[in-house]
Amino acid sequence: MNDHESFEVGALTALGGSMVTVNNVTKRFGELVATDDVTFSLQPGTVTGFLGPNGAGKTTTLRMLLGLAKPTSGEALILGRRYAELDEPVRRVGAVLESNDFHPGRSGRNHLRVLALAAGLPMSRVDAVLELVALGSAAASAVKTYSLGMRQRLGLAAALLGEPQLLVLDEPANGLDPAGVRWLRDFLRAFARAGGTVLVSSHVLAEVAQTVDRVLIIDRGRLVADSVLDELAGRGQTLEDAYLELTTGASS
Amino acid sequence: MRAQLSSELLKLRSTRTAAGLLGALLGLVVTAVVLHGYGVPSANLETPSGQLTFLVGWGEVLGSLFAGLLGAMSITEEIRHGTIRPTLLVTPRRGRVVASKGLAALLAGLVFGLVATSAAVVAGRITLAARGLDVTLDGGDYGLLIVGGAGAAAMWAVIGLGVGATIRSQVPTIVGILAWVLFVEGMLVDNLPGLGRFAPGALGQSLSGLRPDTLLAPSIGAALLALYALAALAAGSVMTIRRDVV
Repeated sequence: MNDHESFEVGALTALGGSMVTVNNVTKRFGELVATDDVTFSLQPGTVTGFLGPNGAGKTTTLRMLLGLAKPTSGEALILGRRYAELDEPVRRVGAVLESNDFHPGRSGRNHLRVLALAAGLPMSRVDAVLELVALGSAAASAVKTYSLGMRQRLGLAAALLGEPQLLVLDEPANGLDPAGVRWLRDFLRAFARAGGTVLVSSHVLAEVAQTVDRVLIIDRGRLVADSVLDELAGRGQTLEDAYLELTTGASS
Repeated sequence: MRAQLSSELLKLRSTRTAAGLLGALLGLVVTAVVLHGYGVPSANLETPSGQLTFLVGWGEVLGSLFAGLLGAMSITEEIRHGTIRPTLLVTPRRGRVVASKGLAALLAGLVFGLVATSAAVVAGRITLAARGLDVTLDGGDYGLLIVGGAGAAAMWAVIGLGVGATIRSQVPTIVGILAWVLFVEGMLVDNLPGLGRFAPGALGQSLSGLRPDTLLAPSIGAALLALYALAALAAGSVMTIRRDVV
């Protein structure tokens, strides 16, 4: 067992088994409260859906979890540490925040090589993830020639470079064709079965209902639901019923 | 840090931005030297300092300007296209990202400066010969032009990075650098030479031995320009660390 593994086992035990712990996170932009006292945790082996209207604070929460934005108060931790304090973060966390975070003139393979070099990963990982998302034949082409679905797959390939334990994905099914949606669902389920943790935001509730174990619903910056999917079904509610009841619907 | 540097160097090599800027620089240097070689009165092209300032010095001026643009674009393109997000997810220590970008910009700027001043030397000699004027520059003059021009461009690339990391938005950054180099500095040096010679473009020119009557000695210019580069890098680093990435 190497140092990282022993650190992780220790950290997971100390955290009661949580991969992610978000504690009372508030983010203000001047007068606007983007997230208001948000608290949740994520356990290994689960897929969690992160739902809410546009502008509800989903992306802001994910950015704080990933160290791109600082909370005004509270803390968002992965394995008990802030993202910036993780050593080798790409081996812990893979994330896709936007579907188009690529230089249009750079090839898909070079996009991945740039990231693999910075992470100190072997170039064999680049080929492995290209094959995994079935982009091998387009890898030498500039990203500007890619469809939205291909960009989503390239983003996912980048997130998987470091063989992470936690996946954080913002609208990953957007632009995928039906076969791609099925593939992604099966992939995320298999990832969780193998002990991984997944946090996935989406507006496509029917898809979420088929993929996740648990949902977090955020509305106007406040977490309004944190439920295992089976609990909703036990109350005779569909995910859509619950979502529409809990959110204001005044989406921007 | 070595991992981040090799990543930054691959970023520069894997799009057409740097190569396109270098090609445009080369074409512009040759054009500027040839046109000035034909247009400048021959009395201004007889002394070594005249040939440096009015002819081959364009290699330093344009090399530093384009190196500054490349340094700036090495960060503003990442912000514009969103690749800053994956970059910071892989390397969340932002100071390290900016430092490795600074090192990559320094190396790329060296290349820009070497190419621009070398091209100016070749174009200058051909133009003077075609016009029937004697070359009065010696090896020491050329050496200072090329070495000084490479050093100036390297530091200008770091300054551009610092400016880009501070302003973040690509178009205002590029317009700002162009306006400063092409207009503000010229007016400063012409009207307030006592102050203008401490401006970063004038310091870059002093490294190559241009306008020795007005500008500072090369060694002092190099030291001061290095201070500018360090200050710009520090400012860009602090601004990158402090602000949220949206």
